[in-house]
Amino acid sequence: MSFSAIKVEGSALRSSMKEMVRFSCKGAVLNFWFQGEAQAFLCVVDLLVTMFILYLFIPPMQTHFVLHRASSGNHDRKSARMKMDNASPADYTGLNSECKDGLWQQLQREAFEIVWSKIENTFKAVLKNINGDAFNEIHSWVLESFQAIRSLGSISSSFEAIRPFPIAIDAASKCLHAGLVLTRNIEFVDDLMTFEDLAENLRSRGCHVANLSSLEFSYDNGTSGCIRSLLRQFLSSPVDAVDMSILSSWYFAQGNRDAPVVVILNDLERCCGHVLSDFIIMLSEWIVKIPVILIIGVATTLDVPGEMLHFNALQCLRMCKFILQSPMERMNAVVEAVLVKNCSGFSISHKVAVFLKNYFTNHDGTLSSLIRALKIACAQHFSTEPLSCMLKVFDEQESFHGEKCGFLHEVISACDRAILSSMGKMDEEGIQDMVSTLIELKKMQDRWSVVVLCLYEAAKCRQVNLLDLLCEALDPDLLSSGRIGCHKTSIKGRAMYCAIQNVRELPEVMVVNLVKSWEKHAIAIPEIHGKVKDLQYNLKFENGRRRKEDLPVIKRTNQNHLNALGGSRAFNETAANFLECLINDFMQPLECMPSHEIVCYKNVEKLKAALAGDPRRQIQVDLLGSCRILQCSCCSGDGGTLRPSMQDTSIMYILSQEHGDLINLYDWYQCFKLILQPLGKVNQKTKQNQGKKDNNEDEELSEVAIQSRGSCGCKAKGDRIICSGWHMDSDKVMTSPVTLGDFSTD
Amino acid sequence: MEIDDFDMEEFGLSRNYFLAKESRSSSSKKSVNKLSDIEVLNEKELEAAVANIEPKHQKEISALKDSYKSSYSEWVFKLRCGFGLLFYGFGSKRALIEDFASTSLTEYSVVVVNGYLQSVNIKQVVACIAEVLWDSLNPRRKIPRENMSILQQPLSSQSMEDHFAFLDGSWTEENDCFVGVVIHNIDGPGLRDSETQQCLAQLAACSNVRIIASTDHVNSPLLWDKKMVNTQFNWYWLHTPTFEPYKIEGMSFPLILEHGNTNQSAKTATIVLQSLTTNAQSVFRVVAEHQLSHPDEEGIPISSLYTACRERFLVSSQVTLNSHLTEFKDHELVKIRKNSDGADCLYIPLPKEALEKLLSEIN
Repeated sequence: MSFSAIKVEGSALRSSMKEMVRFSCKGAVLNFWFQGEAQAFLCVVDLLVTMFILYLFIPPMQTHFVLHRASSGNHDRKSARMKMDNASPADYTGLNSECKDGLWQQLQREAFEIVWSKIENTFKAVLKNINGDAFNEIHSWVLESFQAIRSLGSISSSFEAIRPFPIAIDAASKCLHAGLVLTRNIEFVDDLMTFEDLAENLRSRGCHVANLSSLEFSYDNGTSGCIRSLLRQFLSSPVDAVDMSILSSWYFAQGNRDAPVVVILNDLERCCGHVLSDFIIMLSEWIVKIPVILIIGVATTLDVPGEMLHFNALQCLRMCKFILQSPMERMNAVVEAVLVKNCSGFSISHKVAVFLKNYFTNHDGTLSSLIRALKIACAQHFSTEPLSCMLKVFDEQESFHGEKCGFLHEVISACDRAILSSMGKMDEEGIQDMVSTLIELKKMQDRWSVVVLCLYEAAKCRQVNLLDLLCEALDPDLLSSGRIGCHKTSIKGRAMYCAIQNVRELPEVMVVNLVKSWEKHAIAIPEIHGKVKDLQYNLKFENGRRRKEDLPVIKRTNQNHLNALGGSRAFNETAANFLECLINDFMQPLECMPSHEIVCYKNVEKLKAALAGDPRRQIQVDLLGSCRILQCSCCSGDGGTLRPSMQDTSIMYILSQEHGDLINLYDWYQCFKLILQPLGKVNQKTKQNQGKKDNNEDEELSEVAIQSRGSCGCKAKGDRIICSGWHMDSDKVMTSPVTLGDFSTD
Repeated sequence: MEIDDFDMEEFGLSRNYFLAKESRSSSSKKSVNKLSDIEVLNEKELEAAVANIEPKHQKEISALKDSYKSSYSEWVFKLRCGFGLLFYGFGSKRALIEDFASTSLTEYSVVVVNGYLQSVNIKQVVACIAEVLWDSLNPRRKIPRENMSILQQPLSSQSMEDHFAFLDGSWTEENDCFVGVVIHNIDGPGLRDSETQQCLAQLAACSNVRIIASTDHVNSPLLWDKKMVNTQFNWYWLHTPTFEPYKIEGMSFPLILEHGNTNQSAKTATIVLQSLTTNAQSVFRVVAEHQLSHPDEEGIPISSLYTACRERFLVSSQVTLNSHLTEFKDHELVKIRKNSDGADCLYIPLPKEALEKLLSEIN
């Protein structure tokens, strides 16, 4: 009997156990009576052993158990995939449904992994690069600090290294170098990755680095928690004793003495001030033996160490300040790389972009939640859109046309025919058309992203958020209405309008630089690049001669208006009009393109539901709308009427809503009884021929049933869903949604 | 626009709430009826009746549960993508999740944790998961020889950090090998403290673990900070109301009528009082007797209680009395409210009958 094979089913098994034990006991007593003492003794021992085994293996209610062990299905799926890899497109038609399912899931997963790894690598690289300068600065400071510590002197023998007390040094040389890294971000979750990157960066340059979190600086752990963590990270093997001398001997013995020891603490504000003060004082005492350099992440202001730390600890610190990029700059960089440049081909619809923007600005405000939302969107896209697997080969060049066709064959074969029926006939010609459409889609996407980048360059000095610009650029209504070009209409304040207006107001030199940046962005798109080159030529020409030649780009549109403007103004107008032309000619939102569903995720409701559940609201909605969810015919009568056939908990919850915040338990019970009473009456009617005594019994039974139903309905998850937070004093119950299930009252 | 819809929805909800509050507070009348006016059944009868309740809408509930089966493959896909699944909505989700795990996660080992039990030991759970992963990797010899040192000690004797390091290791080339950890009621009483939640978050962040959890508390999102939600648990929320009774999950909770029963309250108070010293019991008796003899007052003022207790040689100083009172307050045997003079008065939150019964029992 294996431990894992047994699954306990609560009370049923408990009662069966009791039966077994009772039966065995009876047997033992009978044996004792009839078969003599010796045999009975053995029998009792047997019984005890059995009971012990039962106790060990079938506890009455297990806190955890193994439901099952992994089967070998994983390998079967892989072997099926390998067979399919070697098969020709013609072989796909003969697949059975099980094989198709397996292959389809495999394709989905492969495509998701490829696309998501591209997105993930992109934003990781962006975050690494954005702090590159700050990291270099920190590294230089670490080396300087290390040299300064070395100049204080060093230990000469291993004996000195492991002595429990450090060498007596003067106060001036007990100085601990600390770099305060100002993250300018109260959400420390976004900085975790930054500090990991910093650690990796310093490690790659030969430093010994350890990361400590605020959890290690808790009051309960004390400094021993920090030392344990340091030992664990530096020594890479578990140690029983927690002592700085172990760290000291490691530093001396391993030949690590040529490199500084950097300890990174990522969130100062969340640490316990006392523990951190003690830790700093301790490190400063060991500084000659272990040249530790502290890097501390500060989210708010540089005054925090002064407020948190003990005076003695502050005296030991020699602080230096570093500043990281702001959260908004990081957000813009990530959005640019992932959503505007479309590093993976995966894109989002206008509604999804607006939802993400609102979620970021109104609710969470962290980059990590935006990334999580994107990952959920990506996963949902691959699980719901049949041809989304094509994203796997979407960004490959046109020369791989044949390969794309082959892959599309594979995808279509794995797809359920019913799903594909809406897409028309998928013969060889259809597949060729589809591949051509995909290639065209990719081209359109590239052009769109170049225009957005040009707009963003123009809007940068007006502090325009790229996410706002992205939302406008994805809006099919805004662009189809052609309102962008007509800047004098009511779109003032919009990001695109700001960008165009900014071009009109920039000094000449800056316009020239701006156009240079446009050229860089457009280099991969010949049609746009050619136009930018023309613009550069025209601007140069115009700068020299001032409106003596025709301007090829704008002459068709605003000739008369241009003539009326002064020289400098006309220069800016040329660039602004060029930008407007770019928007009108090339900025077609993806949602306007045929077959955009393959690359574009649109289901904002599903994303919203998966990203952040709302148990408080949803559970109440469930209770109020139980008939709708269960789709039962008996309860869904007149709107809002309570019926006895409804779920007991629903009845009680709806009644509680009718009563208000403070419920009298008696009244509540009576109302509940009144609702359920028809059931009791029906019972009575059916048994009306029976005697009076029987009727009384029925009434009693009905009362029992109602009380039990009421108790059970209220209990509904103990006092955690409904009853939690209820005052039982003086028969009153609090049931306002605010007090429902308050943790503090549990 | 979408932004407007979203804000309007939020606004509408809060507005409705306050409107409802306003209308109710103006129209509601205070009722003087008490629960004790109902002839509440005794504990045994009530429990027996609860056991015999015939569930309503079994067919519909069964159809609702069946409707979720079509989503199983999608849920597996989400797990493979690296998300943790979090089920919420009214009704027990125990059977649904276990059915999902039994039918769709057969390729992976699955460990079930009953978070609704008070006695869950998170260290044992982590050790068990590590053992299951070890078993599934070992036969295939997937652990490189150089990494064997991490597991040279027996699993049970290793620290939590060692277990997490093992569970987070990249032991196989393909990253499709994980242990599914089903946690019924991740917000349950045994798992609700912050340390345990931190452990669970660390567990969820391990590359070879996927969490499939259910939650029923309306405030469960408050258990987690942004780091836990976004980078460790990586939740994929699934609204799956089942309307199934919480039979197993609610086993350790008293029934509401049983809980509100006078006899039950007196019984609970008696048990607490019997565990206290004789002097403490006598002090409590002074409060109770005063409450019975002065039913219209707010309670006994603390100064009067001190004088009465000194007269009877029950306490020698205010400090001793305070220590008794602290004990009473911790067990909710007495409560404090102010009288018309503004003095703090002690009272016992039990009705007269229950108090009399209690006094007779401790006598």
